[in-house]
Amino acid sequence: MVTAESEFGPVLIEADAITKSFGGAVAVDNVSISVRAGEIYGLVGENGAGKSTLMRVLAGILSPDQGEVRVDGKPVQPGARAAISAGISLVHQELSLVPEMTVAENILLGSFPTKVGFTEYRKLRQIAADALAEIGVGVDLDERVGRLSVALRQFVEIARAVAKKPRILIFDEPTATLTPAETDYLLAMLRRLADGGMAIIYISHRIPEIFSTCSTVAILRDGKLVRSSSIDSLTPSQVVDQMVGRELGLDLATKRTATPGAVVLDAQGITAPKVNNVSVQVRSGEIVGLGGLVGAGRSELVRAIIGADDRTAGSVTLTHNGETITIGSYQSAVRNGVAYVPEERRIDGLALSMSVEDNIRLPNRKELSVAGFKVGSKTAQVAQLLADKVGLRPPEIRRDVGEYSGGNQQKVVLAKWLGRRPKFIVLDEPTRGVDVGAKAEIHRLVKEIADQGTAVLIVSSDLPELLELSDTIHVMRDGHVTGTLSKEEASEKSVMSLASGETIVRSS
Amino acid sequence: MSQILELSDAKSKGFFGRAGTVIGRRTEGRGIALLSVILVIVALTEPLVFSAYSVTLGRIALIGIVALGLTAVILMGELDLSVASTLALSGVVMASIPELWLGILAALATGLIVGLINAFFVSVVGINSFIATLGMLFALRGLAFVISDEAPVSLVNKEAGISFGEPLIGPITPRVLIFILVFIAIQIFVSKAQAGREFFAVGGNRQAARDAGIPVTRRIVTGFMISGFVAALAGIINSLERTTADPTAGSTVLLTAFAAAIIGGNYLKGGRGSIVGTLIGAAALGVLQVALTISGVQVPVQQIFIGAILLIAVTTDPNSLRSVRGSIRTLRQGRAKNSVTT
Ligand SMILES: Nc1ncnc2c1ncn2[C@@H]1O[C@H](COP(=O)(O)OP(=O)(O)OP(=O)(O)O)[C@@H](O)[C@H]1O
Ligand SMILES: [Mg+2]
Repeated sequence: MVTAESEFGPVLIEADAITKSFGGAVAVDNVSISVRAGEIYGLVGENGAGKSTLMRVLAGILSPDQGEVRVDGKPVQPGARAAISAGISLVHQELSLVPEMTVAENILLGSFPTKVGFTEYRKLRQIAADALAEIGVGVDLDERVGRLSVALRQFVEIARAVAKKPRILIFDEPTATLTPAETDYLLAMLRRLADGGMAIIYISHRIPEIFSTCSTVAILRDGKLVRSSSIDSLTPSQVVDQMVGRELGLDLATKRTATPGAVVLDAQGITAPKVNNVSVQVRSGEIVGLGGLVGAGRSELVRAIIGADDRTAGSVTLTHNGETITIGSYQSAVRNGVAYVPEERRIDGLALSMSVEDNIRLPNRKELSVAGFKVGSKTAQVAQLLADKVGLRPPEIRRDVGEYSGGNQQKVVLAKWLGRRPKFIVLDEPTRGVDVGAKAEIHRLVKEIADQGTAVLIVSSDLPELLELSDTIHVMRDGHVTGTLSKEEASEKSVMSLASGETIVRSS
Repeated sequence: MSQILELSDAKSKGFFGRAGTVIGRRTEGRGIALLSVILVIVALTEPLVFSAYSVTLGRIALIGIVALGLTAVILMGELDLSVASTLALSGVVMASIPELWLGILAALATGLIVGLINAFFVSVVGINSFIATLGMLFALRGLAFVISDEAPVSLVNKEAGISFGEPLIGPITPRVLIFILVFIAIQIFVSKAQAGREFFAVGGNRQAARDAGIPVTRRIVTGFMISGFVAALAGIINSLERTTADPTAGSTVLLTAFAAAIIGGNYLKGGRGSIVGTLIGAAALGVLQVALTISGVQVPVQQIFIGAILLIAVTTDPNSLRSVRGSIRTLRQGRAKNSVTT
């Protein structure tokens, strides 16, 4: 499976002793890596280890404090354009698309084909179509990107990188938003591109992917390169240990204590765009999972339930202490103790230019203010407590959220809602992009709030996660629930077969 | 290459599905609806507006030309409040120079320089464009007063001004002609030129634009220079037609131009909108103003109408509509809450 090093071509890209700090905090500390043509180079590390920062330096978006980037042994000039012309292309961790522009325009953003300054649309569409064909994805070239699903946007982002005909292609956690099938597809694509002589750098928190795909793995911890070696010389658990730098108590898997109580959330006959007559009930202390492929309508369903999107039919009630209320708008839902952690956090869930503390304060305004004024000490205390609880690194609540790494931003969104002791919480892909340690921590938190009596509805494309957390799983396909599995019935196989519509194999 | 991942949901749409997608992509819908409503009402109540089309066209051109320049900036999510003062200043500059052609060139250069200064403050110094151009609004107005010695400056070449007001062919006065040319130029620039199309990226997701290697600062400079240049053109037209340059000119144009851009579906946050939309917005406001004037409605009352139209345009935005529906549901649900069920 893994090819010997001698089979690779010459070194294409070298990062030599790169150091990059942000206002005193060193994000990347004297890191050197080199990648050969045809090699798939895995890069792993905890949230905030400096992976994205290093890649942004390679792509010329950030200029390093020290060190240099070389392609074919020649130093690359500073700036994103120079990096692109040197053949370096980056698929960003956070989607970096313009929602109001079309798929074709986004694929060629910044490098429209022109004749005397005028865009040649025929050519533009042709190049975009070729890039999509190269990665084998069919999507309407003229659709506005804002109307695409998150997974599709991810592929548009990849098509954009491929359209530059790069020699060095960097993927910063591309699979975080993808289903298993899409991930397999992507990994096969990577191998094909590498076989064609490209050098590929691949970042992922999913260790099995690294082992199935990469030939070399580099481990970053606190900005330093702790190891870079051939994948054969390491085992998955060694990689995890070196990432974390300590023994990881992965048997964090806590036992649930509460037994589900009365029905808290009752959604009947929900119909909305992409959702067809779905009913869901969640009891207090119960975790209900929604499984299915990306695009099955799960996010749309939960958004319709809490009133964030319009529904064309159906009713939703929330019962607490014998009092039942109808949920109409999202505002009323939030006021009545509903919490929602959306799928696209950067867009829906966070104010990036505000501090962690202020972000945590947003949904907790009432609790954390006196007569409408923010009470500093109280906010700080609560925010700190919550930040510690979700394992924010570094746990500095005064920092702007935008300065945190992708995985850590995730934790801020969670912290923000956990503070409320919600009656009903919806988590849409809660651990996407979160590292192994933090993921276990978040799982523990979710179970904990369920044990405290909160009704939890969770959407996850991560099958092991869905299976571990859920008491009941509804599997969706094309806007319908195709099956409901109890904890005993649920297995990767039973969920996948319901999700993909292939023969249903009941394991019980 | 062998395998194709079919993820698209827009694939098997029929003709209507496709048409729906295309229409859904446009931003001018509300502008067109409003314009049609206004046209129908005016046709029924004040048909004179159409027989006096030269007046109407002139009015639309007056509002529209500044609005078109503004749109270039608005598309990038920035504002340019200084246009009103630029208009006055460039007029005064032109009138202060005896040789007409030199004066016109100097006025246009003034507009470009103002644009450069605005862009410098916004993209190099990093001041919010509202504040930066508000500062310029005051400073340039002051400068116009200083240059003109606080009084309107008469053109030396009055004949040129008088002949400038004459129609060329039919109802097309030079003002209307220039307006049409400016519209065509900016429309082509924004929809066809690479730089213009990138305005949408700068406004829609500035970080993405930077990441993609788009020279964001240069685009912002271009945008402000367009808006300054067009404002200067408007100043020249104004002064020529009146044969004097008034340092107080243009103060009402600013807000009307903004209103036209907004009614035309341009998002102030940037990234979404169109030049055609602005044209439609200007047409709607122009027709309305002329109709109200002909019916003898006082200017302050006219402003109430404009305000109302603006609010209608913004609140019929699909997003705003959704939040209104949400609020109504919340109200109803507040009542439902009192009747406790078990
Ligand atoms: N623009 C910035 N300003 C200040 N600090 C930053 C900035 N960008 C990153 N950092 C800091 O640099 C460190 C490394 O962040 P980076 O995004 O590279 O981590 P990462 O390894 O990609 O993590 P993740 O797995 O969560 O994506 C973090 O401590 C982060 O807070
Ligand atoms: Mg990262």
